[in-house]
Amino acid sequence: MFRTYRREVPQKLAETPEAVVAGKKVYEKRCWYCHGIEGKGDGPAAVTMFPKPRNFTRNEYKVRSTAFGSVPTDEDLFRIITSGIEGTAMPFWSTISETERWQVLYYVKTFNEQFKKDAPPKVIPVGSVPSTPESIQRGQELFKEMKCYECHGEDGRGNGPLTVALQTEWNLPYRARDLSKGWNFKGGNTIEDIYRTISTGFNETPMGSYLEKLSDEDRWHVAHYVKSLAKDMASDVVVKVKLFEGEELPSEPLDENWSNASAVEIPLAGQILVSPRHWAPTIDAIQVRALYNSNEIAFLLEWDDATNRQEEIFRDAVSLQFPTKIPESLKKPYFAMGDSSGSVNLWSWKAYWQEGFGAVVEAPENEQGVVSELNAKGFKNVTVQPPESQNVTGKGIYQKGRWKAVLKRTLNTEDVKGDIQFEIGKLIPVAFAVWDGSNSDVNGQKSVSSWYYVSLEKPVPKTVFVYVLIALIMGASVEMWFIARLRRFPPKLEEQQE
Amino acid sequence: MANKRNTFLLIWVITAVGCLYGFLKYASPKIFQMLMAKDHPMPTPSTLMMWYMIMGVLAGLVYATTSNQKFIDFLSFLLPGHGPFIKSFLQKILFVGFPLLVGWFVYTWAIPGAASPVELRIQHPTLPQDFEKLENPFRQADADTQRKCIEEGKILFQTYCRPCHGSKADGNGPFANSFRLRPINFQDPGTIATVVDNYLFWRIKEGGPGLPSESTPWDSAMPSWKDDLKDDDVWKIIMGEYDTAGVMPRQREKLE
Repeated sequence: MFRTYRREVPQKLAETPEAVVAGKKVYEKRCWYCHGIEGKGDGPAAVTMFPKPRNFTRNEYKVRSTAFGSVPTDEDLFRIITSGIEGTAMPFWSTISETERWQVLYYVKTFNEQFKKDAPPKVIPVGSVPSTPESIQRGQELFKEMKCYECHGEDGRGNGPLTVALQTEWNLPYRARDLSKGWNFKGGNTIEDIYRTISTGFNETPMGSYLEKLSDEDRWHVAHYVKSLAKDMASDVVVKVKLFEGEELPSEPLDENWSNASAVEIPLAGQILVSPRHWAPTIDAIQVRALYNSNEIAFLLEWDDATNRQEEIFRDAVSLQFPTKIPESLKKPYFAMGDSSGSVNLWSWKAYWQEGFGAVVEAPENEQGVVSELNAKGFKNVTVQPPESQNVTGKGIYQKGRWKAVLKRTLNTEDVKGDIQFEIGKLIPVAFAVWDGSNSDVNGQKSVSSWYYVSLEKPVPKTVFVYVLIALIMGASVEMWFIARLRRFPPKLEEQQE
Repeated sequence: MANKRNTFLLIWVITAVGCLYGFLKYASPKIFQMLMAKDHPMPTPSTLMMWYMIMGVLAGLVYATTSNQKFIDFLSFLLPGHGPFIKSFLQKILFVGFPLLVGWFVYTWAIPGAASPVELRIQHPTLPQDFEKLENPFRQADADTQRKCIEEGKILFQTYCRPCHGSKADGNGPFANSFRLRPINFQDPGTIATVVDNYLFWRIKEGGPGLPSESTPWDSAMPSWKDDLKDDDVWKIIMGEYDTAGVMPRQREKLE
């Protein structure tokens, strides 16, 4: 998404009663659907959102340049309206005029008395300090010392023990940000933005201000460490599957051979196609790797999940979807569970559930109900394959805020009707779905992807090198013939010839 | 006689073609990323690239043959002669480089690749007969009712359509990046402004699954709302949608 994180703010419009009246108009044309007609963050569209829209009657402003608990400056509000907030439903309003943006923010300020009562807030300056490996190292130590991991988790995946327990007054969880997802940083992911967030904190959330707890230098160290955790989504349309040279394909999620496979990250959205729709999913990306040999294919699926806590029916799970047959033409089954004219083959892995569910899940191998193969011809037409057709094996593990699950099957099976038969060199459509049990995900309540492709890479045939050799020789001969001819009949101007 | 600069004409032409390649391959994706306001580079399509390169080479040859003198200079570079050291050095590079270039072309063509397939689709299929005759029941209503309908429609739009199509109807909702077929940007004058409002009624009611096969229904993430929204609500959403996007539906041609 295109956002303009502009730091510079244009000339302020005078805060007059007329501006506030004009701002009310803008607000009631564009903002109230989420933020509510009285600014309480309870607009009609708020039900479909998480994080919820800001309640303007309270001082819960998160992205500010002012001290913790203070109201933001007008410039802060202008910047947020202009740039929006990543990882939330707040869009960028750089599309409306600057005047309108000033007017609407003056109106928004009227919802909260504190803007009038408080003295003009003081801005905490943000300088700029370049990152060094030592600074990142020091930041990592401070991350531990300041107990950032209690919410953000050891590897910063937002899986700290506290984040699971903290609830807002509306009984919604306070979710610490997954710091590895650079695309979800509220208020921007530049080093200055991160420094500002650490310094000012987020009002009315457990994310406090470290202005007094850490020196200026130390806050830069932590910011550099956090920045080093933040990654972009490395997405691609085709998951390239390499031929694995070893004897047996890895079946453990932590097998080091997985590092040979190229990883593709795939964005996920809530399942919004059929009722009940899932408007606020927690899982927004899945990473895929795959390897094959002459006999089998294995997928490693990884996704961040703040917790593996789940109840009996709400389980963490993942599923791979293929058409039952590699399509000959462009036509594919419907990307969400197929349709009456095109059936799909699903490989599903579900976290094993039992009482006293520990931090590490070790699903017993070949356990029915842990890995299953299904067929679907639409949401309402899903069948589990009979036991004799269940060929997929799998294993999952939960570690430091991340699920890793391996799903493995032979390239070809006897159930030609219900199972995808892999062919080397073809583009095979694939789609993904992930469930987060702690978010009450079950059945259609899930995160889904569009169709992508897997391609089992053909090893480069030896004949290619013969072609290249022939091309080299031919190229060289044509060249020599040309130069020889040029030397024999050097080009001359006509008058020179005479 | 030819001045000194011209004797390197062949090298200049090759450099220019090389620069063109670099521009198409590396600079143009970045420029279009900025111009089109995308979060990813916009690579030049390979067929387009091929045509531009062919045109580039031809342009170089045309330039080299604009006068006999130029053409002689162009070819004479390959002749042995007593030029500066740099000349014989570049000659050697050309001599080795040409067969290598040919070899590289053949190699890239011959290795098995997994390029993502071309997925062409028709974006605006024809409106089915059944939907053509329908009338928006609120379009003829008085101004007050219309205003009320638009407002109700906007609320429904913000609730059900916003997650993909965005608060501004600009196709930038929170889920927009997660679907390979991006949600439509309704502010774009080439989208809902070019169709009658029945068309939207059809699209909302039937969604992706209701598309004809030339419009790749299997890839469209547009839900079919026929089981979840009443006809009146759909008409209201359409009115709210046009209002949010700031465009007007196409008016029907009046038959005399």
